[in-house]
Amino acid sequence: MSDVDLEMTEPDRGDDQELEPILDPKVQESIGRSLKAHYDDLVNAPIPDKFLVLLAQLEAQEQRASAGGTTNERL
Amino acid sequence: MSASDFKDGLIKEIPNLRAFAASLSGSMQLADDLVQDTLLKAWGNSDKFEPGTSLRAWLFTILRNTYYSLYRKRGREVQDSEGTYAERIAVHGNQESHLDLADFRKALAKLPEEQREVLIMVGATGLSYEEAAEICGVAIGTIKSRVNRARTKLAELLSIGGLDDLGPDRQSAAAVQRTGAEIVRL
Repeated sequence: MSDVDLEMTEPDRGDDQELEPILDPKVQESIGRSLKAHYDDLVNAPIPDKFLVLLAQLEAQEQRASAGGTTNERL
Repeated sequence: MSASDFKDGLIKEIPNLRAFAASLSGSMQLADDLVQDTLLKAWGNSDKFEPGTSLRAWLFTILRNTYYSLYRKRGREVQDSEGTYAERIAVHGNQESHLDLADFRKALAKLPEEQREVLIMVGATGLSYEEAAEICGVAIGTIKSRVNRARTKLAELLSIGGLDDLGPDRQSAAAVQRTGAEIVRL
């Protein structure tokens, strides 16, 4: 695990200086709706158990560590 | 923040992390690997999270950096060999919106990553332009510019450039593409 992953490294390319075409508001709205439909579909998908299991394991590990370590080392 | 509170916070963000990761990588399988890595890193670095700031923005930063440093190449390979994830994960909703969604996702997958990620962030996740700028490490103006270009490119890919292409009852930009591609307009 590296701290580097937590930092924001990408340089600003200054690409906001170009002239932008303006989209019709209705087109923007339509794209916005599709974007939400795409994202909400993903957000509403059931969460795989493995993530909850992983976090429960991490928490249990930390509790054991702070309690001075006990039995049941599963990670 | 206790470990238990932090854990609960992470659990709440898992759906958003998966959705963002899938949008970024184009693969549900890669998305889940990416989310797992992100959770592990977040847990290991929980002391660096400042309570009171946005946990979502913090997690997105980790996820995004993990993606660009480790997953990007793999993502391309997966997409090349399996096609996009669009057909495989669009399982909710009715049949018609299912098809529209698949079309939209194909177009979304064609955007440059730097445009796709910001469009998702500000257009779907509830993150602000400021937060998106911080996550990407660029100026707010750059985020605005990328969002504009992403929208323009999507409109082009979905053939919805003009007013006439958008009836008031359209549910989705993608729906228009089906007819728009077949009917010659003035």
